[in-house]
Amino acid sequence: MAPDWNEVPDEEFRSVFRTWVDQNCPAHLRYMRKQRPLFNEVAEWYHALAAKGWLAPTWPRQYGGMGLSAAKHMIYVEEWGRLGCPRIPDHGIGLVGPLLIQYGTEEQKAHYLPCILSGEHVWCQGYSEPNAGSDLASLRTSAELDGDVFVVNGQKIWTTLAHCANWIFVLVRTERDAKVRQKGITVLLLDLTSPGVRVRPIENLRGETDFCEVFFDNVRVPLKNLVGKIHEGWTVAKSVLGHERIFLGAPTRPEYALERLRRLAEARGAFEDPAFLSRFARLRLDLYDLGSAFERYAKVLRAGGELGADVSALKIFTTELYQRITEEMLTVAGEEARFADDLGAGDVDIDAMNLFLDSRAPAIFGGSNEIQRNILAKAVLQLPG
Amino acid sequence: MPKLMLDDPDGTLVMLSDSVTGFAGRFPGAKAMRERRGRGGTMDPLIWSAMAEAGWIGLLLPQECGGAGLGLREQTVLSEALGRALIAEPTGAASVFAATLVGGASPGAERSRLAAGMTSGEIIAVPAWTSGAKPMTARSVNGSILLSGEMRFVDAARAATDFLVVARSADGVILLSVAADAPGLAISERAGVDGGALATISFSDCAVPADRVLSRANRCEDLLRRAILHTRLALAAELTGVASKALELTIAYTSDRVQFGKPIASFQAIQHRLVDMWIEADFAAAAVVNAVDALQAKDDDAAELAVLAAKARAGEAAFSICRRAVHLHGAMGYTDECDIGLYLKRAINLNAMLGQPEQLRLEFVERESGYGRGRT
Repeated sequence: MAPDWNEVPDEEFRSVFRTWVDQNCPAHLRYMRKQRPLFNEVAEWYHALAAKGWLAPTWPRQYGGMGLSAAKHMIYVEEWGRLGCPRIPDHGIGLVGPLLIQYGTEEQKAHYLPCILSGEHVWCQGYSEPNAGSDLASLRTSAELDGDVFVVNGQKIWTTLAHCANWIFVLVRTERDAKVRQKGITVLLLDLTSPGVRVRPIENLRGETDFCEVFFDNVRVPLKNLVGKIHEGWTVAKSVLGHERIFLGAPTRPEYALERLRRLAEARGAFEDPAFLSRFARLRLDLYDLGSAFERYAKVLRAGGELGADVSALKIFTTELYQRITEEMLTVAGEEARFADDLGAGDVDIDAMNLFLDSRAPAIFGGSNEIQRNILAKAVLQLPG
Repeated sequence: MPKLMLDDPDGTLVMLSDSVTGFAGRFPGAKAMRERRGRGGTMDPLIWSAMAEAGWIGLLLPQECGGAGLGLREQTVLSEALGRALIAEPTGAASVFAATLVGGASPGAERSRLAAGMTSGEIIAVPAWTSGAKPMTARSVNGSILLSGEMRFVDAARAATDFLVVARSADGVILLSVAADAPGLAISERAGVDGGALATISFSDCAVPADRVLSRANRCEDLLRRAILHTRLALAAELTGVASKALELTIAYTSDRVQFGKPIASFQAIQHRLVDMWIEADFAAAAVVNAVDALQAKDDDAAELAVLAAKARAGEAAFSICRRAVHLHGAMGYTDECDIGLYLKRAINLNAMLGQPEQLRLEFVERESGYGRGRT
C-alpha cells in the first residue's frame, strides 16, 4: 500500500509533491487557456498521476487513493494551481469515488473505483434540469422499475464534460406523489453508451463547449446500479461535497486575474491615473483579505474540524471579486475592449475578454450566489423563514 | 456573530472578553455615551479608573515598568469586546498609543512615573502628535525646553493629566510629556461625532523640565511607527466589535418587527442585506486575526501590510454595516433614543482615526509595490 502521507510533515509533503509534479506534468499542458479540457487532451497527465498513485488525493489508501487529510489535500490543490497544471476531468475522482466509498456496495466499489483510476470510465454529474436548477428538488427525470431494470426518461442540462464522458451519475425521480419533494429521489449510475442516450454539447459565452444537454429516452439501467436506497437519494446527492466546499471559495481565480490586470495596467500606464490606482488598491486589498478569510477556514480543517455553512461566505466573495477584477480589465482596455481576442501587453498577451466572460460562470455554478445567501440567512444568521 | 478566532489555550482571552461584559453591566456603554455628550464631551473619570482597576489601561506596557506584560492578542480581544459593549472611552489614544510610546521610551524616572500612573489610573496620558497650523518646535533654554506650536485631534484633553507631545528640536525630534496644567498651554475643544470632544492644543513658549524627554529620534516616523501600528490594530479590533454588535441588534430588530403579518427578516430582500453585512463582519474579524498573526511572526514589512489591511477592512465594514443597520431599523433608527445611531457614530469616529480605508489602501499598495509612490 502507498505511504501514509499524513505522517509526513506539511512542508516535506509540499516539496515532494511539488518536485514530482513539476518534473512530470508536461510543459504543453501548463497554464492551458481552456478551463475544462477534454479527457483526451490531458490523458497523458491523468495516466501519469494514476501510475504514481497520486490521482485520487482524498480516497482512502485501500482503494488506491492517497488518503490525504483535509490539510494535506489543500497543499495538493495549492501546488497544483501554482504549477499551472490543467484541470483533469475529475468527476470520477472528486464525486463518484467519495459517493461510492460512502454509500456504494462492495461490488460497486470493486468494479467502479479501479475503472476511474485507469481512466476507462470518465464520469459526469447529472443533477440540473431545465426546470430544476437552484430548485434541484423539483427535478422530473424519471426512473420506473421494470423487474430488475430502471427505465429512465427525461433530460439533464449543464452537464459538464458529458461529451467526453462514458458514465453519468444521475438524480432521478422514482416516486411522484411524495409530500416532501426531497423524498422519492434516487441516485443511479448510468452507462452513457446505453441505447436511448443522446448528448448535445452547448456552446458557452467564451465559444467553448464545457457543458451539455443529456437526453434519456427509455434508457434501461440495471437495478444493481442503484446507489444507496431507492427514493432516498437526496441525502446521498447532497453529501458529495464535504470539506471540498472550501475550494469553491479558494482565491485562485481572482489571484490569477489580478496579476493579469496588473500587467495590463502597467503596459497601458494606468497606474499614473489616481482614479485607477484607487480602484486597483481596493481590488488588491479585497484579494489580500480573502486570503485572511480563507486561512480562517483552512485553520479549522487543519485542526481536524469540519466546515459549517458559513464557508459559503468565501464562495460569494471570491466569485464576485473575480467579476469585479475582470470588469476593471475591460475598463483599462478602453476602446480595445471591443476586440474579441487577447490584448498585447509588452511581452505577454492578456486574455481580458476571455477572463471577463469566464468570470460570469462561478457566481452561478456550485449553487448560485443567491442560493448561498439563502443558506447563510437560514443556517448561520438563523433568520425567520 | 463573527468573532476573533485566536488561539486561547488557557482561556485568558475568554476571561478578558467576559470581564468586559460584566463591566458593561455596571457601566452600560450607550448610557455613558449619552451622559458624556450631555457634559460637553468630558470623559467620566469614574469609568476610566474602573477600567484601570480592571487592568485594561496600559495593557501593552512591559512588565519591567509595571505593566501587565500582556501582549497584542490580549489588547485585540479587549478592544473588540469594548467595541461590542460600546464602551466608547479613548482606549486607542490614551491606552494603546500612550502605552506603546511610554513602553518604547528610554528607561528613566519619567517613564516609570507615567507607566505606574497610567496603570493605576491616576495619570491619563494623552498623545498629541498631529501637527496643526503651526508646527511643534522645541528649543532648550536654561535647562528647560520651550515648546511652541499647535496639535490637533487630541482626545480627552480636559481629563488628561499629561500630554505626550512630539516636537522638532535642533537635532531631530523628541517625545516628551507635558503636564496638562503647564503655563503656556491652551486647550480649545470641538464636539466629536460620538459625543466625545476633540481638542486643538496650542503651546506658546510652554516651559517643560528637560527630564520630561522620553525619546529622541531622527525622524518623527521612527518615534511613532510602533504606536501607530498597535493603535491601528486596536482600532480595527474595536471596529470589528462595533460592527458585529450592530449587526446582532439589527438581526434581532428585523426578526421582531412584524409587517404584512411576518417578521421583516423573513423577506429575502432583507435577508440578503443582512447576509452581506455578516460577510463583511466575518472578513473584518479574519483581517484582524491575520494582523495579530503577522505581528507575532516578527516580519515587519508583512506586519505593516497586515495592519493596514485590517484597519481598512474593519473600518469600512463597521461604517457600512452601521449605515445599513440604521436603515434597517426604519424610522426608529433615525431617532436619538434608539441605540443603533450611537454605533454608527462610534464607527464613524474610529474609522476616521489614524487613516480612513481609502488612505490605508493606497498606503498598502505603495508599500507593497511602489504604486503611486509619493502620493500618499
